[in-house]
Amino acid sequence: MAWEYSEKTKQIFMDAVHGKPGTHMGEIEQPDGIGEHGSIACGDALRFTFRVRRHPTDPLQDVITEARYLTFGCTSAIASSEALCTLIEQGAFTPIGALGVTNRDIVEYLGGLPDQKIHCSVMGAEALEAAVFNWAQKRGVDLLALGIDMHTEEKEEGRLVCQCFGLTEPYLKRKIRELGLKTITEITGAIKAGGACMSCHHKPGGLQDLLNEVWGPQPLTLKLLPGPPEPREAAGTDRSVPSPYQFSKQVEKVLDQYVRPMLARDGGGVEIVDIKDTAVYCRLIGACAGCGGAGMTMKLMVERTLKEMVDDRIRIITV
Amino acid sequence: MRTVYLDNNATTAVAPEVVEAIEAYFTAEYFNPSSAYDRAAPAAQAIKRARDTVARFLGGVDPSEILFTSCATESVNTALYGAVRANPARRHIVTTAVEHPAVYEVCKDLARSGLDVTFLPVDRAGNLDLRTFIQALRPDTLIAAVMHANNETGAIFPVEQLARITKETDPAILFLTDATQTAGKLPLDLRGAMRHVDLLAFSGHKLHAPKGVGALFARRGTAMRPFMLGGHQEGGRRAGTENVPYIAGLARAVELAQEDHDAVEARIRRLRDRLEAGLLACIPCVEVNSQGAPRIPNTCNLSVHFIEGEGILYQLNEHGICASSGSACTSGSLEPSHVLRAMQVPFTALHGSVRLSLGRYNTDQDVDRALEVFPRIVANLRRLSPYWDQAHERPRPEAEAMMRQSGK
Repeated sequence: MAWEYSEKTKQIFMDAVHGKPGTHMGEIEQPDGIGEHGSIACGDALRFTFRVRRHPTDPLQDVITEARYLTFGCTSAIASSEALCTLIEQGAFTPIGALGVTNRDIVEYLGGLPDQKIHCSVMGAEALEAAVFNWAQKRGVDLLALGIDMHTEEKEEGRLVCQCFGLTEPYLKRKIRELGLKTITEITGAIKAGGACMSCHHKPGGLQDLLNEVWGPQPLTLKLLPGPPEPREAAGTDRSVPSPYQFSKQVEKVLDQYVRPMLARDGGGVEIVDIKDTAVYCRLIGACAGCGGAGMTMKLMVERTLKEMVDDRIRIITV
Repeated sequence: MRTVYLDNNATTAVAPEVVEAIEAYFTAEYFNPSSAYDRAAPAAQAIKRARDTVARFLGGVDPSEILFTSCATESVNTALYGAVRANPARRHIVTTAVEHPAVYEVCKDLARSGLDVTFLPVDRAGNLDLRTFIQALRPDTLIAAVMHANNETGAIFPVEQLARITKETDPAILFLTDATQTAGKLPLDLRGAMRHVDLLAFSGHKLHAPKGVGALFARRGTAMRPFMLGGHQEGGRRAGTENVPYIAGLARAVELAQEDHDAVEARIRRLRDRLEAGLLACIPCVEVNSQGAPRIPNTCNLSVHFIEGEGILYQLNEHGICASSGSACTSGSLEPSHVLRAMQVPFTALHGSVRLSLGRYNTDQDVDRALEVFPRIVANLRRLSPYWDQAHERPRPEAEAMMRQSGK
């Protein structure tokens, strides 16, 4: 895997990490707008803040003068954040006007992004939207009255489609339309949905169904196999072995009565790790553990005693 | 700019001795070892010698128990699919949640085709629980596949003990181990401590042979259908004209690994320990993954809280330092390493993992360079991170709470 970043993306990233003059790392104190997107658990997160020059009477004429970011993420996430701030400052936008800056502008500014990294630019655009929403609240601007719907409710409400990244049906459908996403791969590249466990790709109400709903059924060129099953943790209680409670009680009793007192004389003991059918998994402890005769002790003393006293099919397996 | 190569778990430089050993089979001795005429005899002898050498390397097993393949992945595919097809009555596989994809993905594929697969969990340090392993073995278990050392963290599993327990539980259960990261590093004594292991896979390019050659040890009597058909080579168990030069190279590489093993290992361990201690001493909020487990001496897998691994790799690259990461952004998937997730590495550090793996050609100078560059790179990224207070060199309060909670 070599990096497929444009020269511009690499340059912006390196300038950012070295804090070159003109870069935008940071957080504005008491900002006029603050917006966040992503989380550390999801692998990238951006906190975007801006300051405006306030218009004395009309908040709609506020102008953004300064934009800053703090970003947890990969090379392209950091470069996208830097691009966002540059674009916003250069445009001298009103906050409403800034909404015209989209993820495509960020991608273009960076000289392109690899397909699977488009989500980094989308993160920038989402944080910007959130920050403008925050500004509107602070300045008493009614965005809905202006015909701007920030869709703030849809992330909380609506059916969860991508469990891994917590994305809902209304959000996904809007993004599919807005960003013109035509395939599951494009969805994953742009907004990460379906990029982890992949179980939402083809299940009923999953990503393919949403694509079909938005764009109409697509000719199926490649049918993906159903997603791999999640690794199953070995159950503590194994269903295949009918746990012989009485059997293990008997083994313990015999060990207590006959075996352990003898081992204790030498400062040792024996511990049962598990019992499976007639196989008894155990380990010598104390002084017996490191003893050169441990193998003999197990075979001659522990196994023979248990065979005689409990069941002649018993096998000792040293653990 | 000098290259500092700290990615020896990904691949290693081909040793000059190996290059020398294989050259003739590209030029004068280009013949097909299966051909009848005298001129082909040296090629056939090279393969025989190589098989003898690898058999000795694995504790003096019988040469007929060695199959040459194209890589460890092929060896593992051969072993798993071959065993499944030869033993239709047994439908259960035991493996771990931290295997290399060569095992992990094949097991998932076998699960899709109807087999029952148990993926054993590991603890926070990457250790298996013996009791859980024992409990996972069933009357219909076909094979237990447990790696010798983990390619990401270097954690060693006690495969000698696990194989013995498996065989004593039921001799019909096969035991497979992927020894790709341990061949040449740890003893692989298949007549001694590892005598209960039926199948063992490794590749050449992790121990200074070229990429494109591997081996599979299959103990005599192990029921296995061939994976590749179409020829009588390797006793009909692996068809295809033998890669004579690379097989000769693999043999030279295992000799080399044995010749000065102890001195090389001691040096690598010292370099790794110095690197690790140096980084831990000057970077806050960083942890060594699998520090609490026995580890191979060359691997240091770090999780750096509150930053993302790809940005670290990219900057290391700018300084000529080669390393790798388990972060989502470097994997092509959007999920971070399945190994670190299985170990329940806190999510504040899950995306910030970097693997530094050393080899026989690393020097103190390499370690100095990494120690000089790495902390600066971390500081650069933390300055940009919304979770970090670079002025006070500590996480922001809310992030610290998150770290404490996710570390539980």
